[in-house]
Amino acid sequence: MQLELGVVGSAAAFLAFAVALYGAVAGVLGASRRDPRLVTSARLSAVAGFLVATVAIVVMESALLTDDFSVSYVAQHSRISSPVWVKVVTLWAALEGSILLWAWLLSGYTALVAAVAALSPLRPWAIAVMQGVQTFFFFVLAFLANPFKVLPNPPLDGPGPNELLQNHWMMAVHPVLMYLGFVGLTVPFAYAMAALITRRPGAEWMVLTRRWTLAGWGFLSAAIVAGGWWSYEVLGWGGYWAWDPVENVSLMPWLTATAFVHSVQVQERRHMLKPWNVALILTTFALSVLGTFLTRSGVVSSVHAFGSGPVGPAFLAFFVIVVLVSFGLLAARWEDVKDRAELDSLVSREGAMLGVNVLFLALAFAVLLGTLFPLVVEAISGDRVTVGPPFFDQVTLPIWMLVLLLMGIGPLLPWRKAEEQSLRSNLAWMLAGLVVAGGLAWALGVRKLYPALTVGLAGYNVVSLGLLLAGALVPRMRLAKRPALQVLRSYAHENRRRVGSMVVHFAVVVIAVGVAFSAGYRVDEQVRLDIGGSAEFEGYTLTATELFVDPTAARVSAGVLVEVRSGDRFVTTLRPRINVFPGSNRGIPTPAVLYRPSHDLYLSLNSNVAPGTTFVVLRVVKSPLVTWIWVGGALLALGTAYALGGSTRRVAARVSVPAAAAREA
Amino acid sequence: MKRQGLLLTVLAVALLGGLFAYGLLRGEPDRDIPTALKGKPAPAFELPVHEHYVNQFGETLSLEELEGRPLVVNFWASWCAPCYDEAPVLQAYWERYEDTGVVFVGVQTQDRGKRAEGRAFIDLFGLSFPNVVDDDSAVSVDWGLFGVPETFFVSRDGVVLDKHVGPVTPQVLDAQLAALLR
Repeated sequence: MQLELGVVGSAAAFLAFAVALYGAVAGVLGASRRDPRLVTSARLSAVAGFLVATVAIVVMESALLTDDFSVSYVAQHSRISSPVWVKVVTLWAALEGSILLWAWLLSGYTALVAAVAALSPLRPWAIAVMQGVQTFFFFVLAFLANPFKVLPNPPLDGPGPNELLQNHWMMAVHPVLMYLGFVGLTVPFAYAMAALITRRPGAEWMVLTRRWTLAGWGFLSAAIVAGGWWSYEVLGWGGYWAWDPVENVSLMPWLTATAFVHSVQVQERRHMLKPWNVALILTTFALSVLGTFLTRSGVVSSVHAFGSGPVGPAFLAFFVIVVLVSFGLLAARWEDVKDRAELDSLVSREGAMLGVNVLFLALAFAVLLGTLFPLVVEAISGDRVTVGPPFFDQVTLPIWMLVLLLMGIGPLLPWRKAEEQSLRSNLAWMLAGLVVAGGLAWALGVRKLYPALTVGLAGYNVVSLGLLLAGALVPRMRLAKRPALQVLRSYAHENRRRVGSMVVHFAVVVIAVGVAFSAGYRVDEQVRLDIGGSAEFEGYTLTATELFVDPTAARVSAGVLVEVRSGDRFVTTLRPRINVFPGSNRGIPTPAVLYRPSHDLYLSLNSNVAPGTTFVVLRVVKSPLVTWIWVGGALLALGTAYALGGSTRRVAARVSVPAAAAREA
Repeated sequence: MKRQGLLLTVLAVALLGGLFAYGLLRGEPDRDIPTALKGKPAPAFELPVHEHYVNQFGETLSLEELEGRPLVVNFWASWCAPCYDEAPVLQAYWERYEDTGVVFVGVQTQDRGKRAEGRAFIDLFGLSFPNVVDDDSAVSVDWGLFGVPETFFVSRDGVVLDKHVGPVTPQVLDAQLAALLR
């Protein structure tokens, strides 16, 4: 008898669970008894677990690519006529597969930590914690959401993945980035737990995981921006963020992780905020589990949640355990973790970092509140309510403005205490930047509060970055007597973290301006166009020239060719259309976008197209500066990558300095 | 601080955990979509018959022809995995209930151009009750289908008594057929 793929996949899932469980138990026993053989065995099992999980992934991909409908997941979510790339990404198009991907990435990170992380008393415990988390994911995969069930009567074809997901190649990118982010932030979480367990709450665990943290944060940031662009390209309303619960649960861990990325520096430099940092990373991890629970249990209603199933209670139980164990441990170790140093002055780098931390936590709290509020109301009064963009905008916009304000001044402040004079002159320059930029925007007709304020703050931040760069370069130029560009290059090479953070801050400014204008000055209209007829929209002439039908094996597109003219000048022809995938009656409107630096023109078909159709209804959106959000997102990823790159030696050198640990103790 | 922290943690977890447990237990009212057809006449149709049954029923089968007999109308598609689970159940109940006067009708829907696959589906399970093809899915729209499989129970006088979303089980068919034949 031929060995069925489903059987092999199930076996791999069960084995991965067993290996992870063994690794967690052996790791805990080995670390607590200081038994090097057990510790090594646990470490090797991390690599073994990754190999077994890889087998499961390979089996699932082969089943998807060979249309093996005896495998339940393939039968439920794949289709023979789908293009190859859709079959590949179908792996994470539904619940069970996404858990498989998550578990596999986690096992990969664990194996990587086991293989490359520097030797330290924390490492065995950190690997054990990661294996513990992995045990949970493989438990869910093997016992509750097994995608490898063998169907006795395999269907001849399947329905294919959710149409919205096959409609855009972003499906191949965004979810993977998201999981890489979430899973990446498991590493600092595991090290923080290890630090609590071993009573070594100094900077050691943060220094060891600095790159992991930054990489995880970078992936998560990129995932959020990519997700925004995806929904912009796919959902047909010309927006990119709707404060939907699924979006919110990805934002919350990002907010606390962002706070963490900043406040770790305070502990590294000033040995302060120890309990705060531990609490932040515990919260970040707990929030990522919470988000997984919320999106996979159907507890909050959302436009793009996964279907519910038996995994809801499991994730709830896991969330409760994670919070109880991690925060319980923090409370139990409080005496070790407590800060001894005190803030010298609020007007200092650490003061600004603390301030920005408070702001990010306030944002996270507001988002959490808005996301859970409907559930609370329903639990108390039974009424079903929704909390929408007005709440989130009103509450978070002022806080975002304060974030921009602090982002400008913080990096210019020295540690401990700022000198009044240099602070004053810096602030004067920056406020001048604020007034000039804001005034310019006002003169150009920007009369809305938040867009005008954002432009002002953007000017203020650009001045701040200029001052920062000048402060670093001018003395070096004087000293080296070399031209500015050369000095800049060597400075950027020697200070990757600092320069990377400047790039990231600049990217944030770019994104902020893009958001402010695309949200504040968006024009959104329904336009009826006869075939052959024209309509005016915001200085454009839109002409529906003809209908088209474009059938391929994977889908049938039907739409309208719209000629876009600006005055007498031909600009482009856009093809808004409706895609129908086989096995479904549902047409998926697929917008067409004209990307320009100053604004986008976005056309989405709102009516049916059939032979004999004499007119179409289009949703036409003009969105100013929206492209800069995606540009900023790319810049942010580049800045993070730059900060991560470069020699590992310095990091390694810092880690192996025992004096740092001794000073802590 | 130690005890306070612990207490706070437990309290927060209990509150959140309780809230989410409520969210899970409350179920999903959105999912259980009641049919607006319940108690109303079943929408008429006339559809081409799969060739297995042409000798017995002719080229097309209409709801009118079946008037006066209780009906079990099952919508399925060749790509639908749960349909493969319920097909043997339907066939077994058809064999058991055939003599009571009830008629099972299978409707292949949301499956345009897949008649051959439909034939293979019928052959696979040896379905002996009539199956028809809703090639442009118009009937599935008339009947307000939520997805496949979905099964409607229609009384002798042509009124929709109830419907079942998802694959039917022996328990569902036992209860529904008892009500239908009462």
